Amino acid sequence: MTRPGVRALVVGVGGLGCPAAMALARAGVEVLGLCDDDVVERANLHRQILFDDDDVGSPKVEVAERALKRRAPNLEVKLHAHRLLPENAIELVGQYDVVLEGSDNFATKFLAADACALAGIPVVHASAVRWIGTVMAVGTAGRPCYRCLFEDVPVGDAPNCAAAGVMGPVVGMVAAIQVDLALALVAGEPVAGEVVTIDGRVDEVRRRSLRARAGCCLCGGQSSRIRQINPDAYASPAYTG
Amino acid sequence: METIVRIPTPLRTLTGGADEVTAIGGTVREVIDDLEGKHPGLRERLLDEKGVRRFVNIYVGEEDIRFLEGLKTTLKSGDQISIVPAIAGG
Repeated sequence: MTRPGVRALVVGVGGLGCPAAMALARAGVEVLGLCDDDVVERANLHRQILFDDDDVGSPKVEVAERALKRRAPNLEVKLHAHRLLPENAIELVGQYDVVLEGSDNFATKFLAADACALAGIPVVHASAVRWIGTVMAVGTAGRPCYRCLFEDVPVGDAPNCAAAGVMGPVVGMVAAIQVDLALALVAGEPVAGEVVTIDGRVDEVRRRSLRARAGCCLCGGQSSRIRQINPDAYASPAYTG
Repeated sequence: METIVRIPTPLRTLTGGADEVTAIGGTVREVIDDLEGKHPGLRERLLDEKGVRRFVNIYVGEEDIRFLEGLKTTLKSGDQISIVPAIAGG
C-alpha cells in the first residue's frame, strides 16, 4: 500500500530510526525527513541496519539517504543534519504530517512531545533499552500525550541505551510497531493514546490505552500548562543522552 | 494475598534477573513494601517522598494506578502488577 502525499519526520536515525525509515520508504511515503547530527560508529552497526562498515565516520543522515534511495528511488528525502532543538523544534515538526521520535535521550523526547503538541502534529514516541521497548502514539489533538505517561524528565537512575545497551532485534520490533502506529494515525485510525510495551526476551507484546491526565502539564486544562517551548527546560544535564 | 509483579529489564538487577516475582499485600503500597524486604532498593526506584516517581508507571492489570486509587489501590485475587519505566534509547 502506498502513502502518497504523506510527509513523515524521523527524529533520531539510530537503531529505531533506521528500520523505521526503511519501512516508511517501502510504505510509499512521499517525503521522509531525517533529523540527526551524529556520525556512524562501529558500535552502531549491529542494530542500525541502514549502515555498513564503510559508513563508519560518515554523517548518519547522508548515509541513510543513499541507502533509502536505493530502495525507493522516488522517495524525497529531506536531511536535517542537526539535533531537534528548542529553537528549531516547532518549525521543523510543522513541516510534516507525522513525527516518529526514536531518539536516545530524554531531552529530545520531551522536546518532541512538547513541540508536536504545540504544533498540532501527531507523534509516535519509541524507546528501547536492553530487551524492552515502549511505543506511544499521540494524535493531532495531543491528548493524551507523552507527559500524561511520563510526567517529567527522569533524573538519576533512569536507564538509557548508551549505558545499558540494546538488543538489535528488539529495536526492529519496536520500530515496526512505531511505523504501524504512525501510518495508522495518518490514516485516521483510532490509535491515539495506544501504549505498546515489548519484552523481547519472551517476545511479549502488551497494548494498553492511555487515558489523559487532568493535571497534565502539556495537555491538561490548567492555566499553567506548557504553551511555548522554554529552552531552559531542556538544558538540564539530565536531559543529555 | 500473593500478587505477581512483572519486573522490567532495567530493574531486574534488583531481583536477581527475575522478570516476575511475587509479593504479599492487600494494596499496591503493601506489595511494594513487601518487595523491598525481598529485593532491597526496588522501592526507591519506584517511589519518592511524593509517591510513584514521575517517570514510572505502575499498572494493576491494564489500568494505571493513577486512575485507580494510586498506592492505595486494593488488589484482588489474580491481579497482576506491571511496571513501565521511562526509557530513552534506540
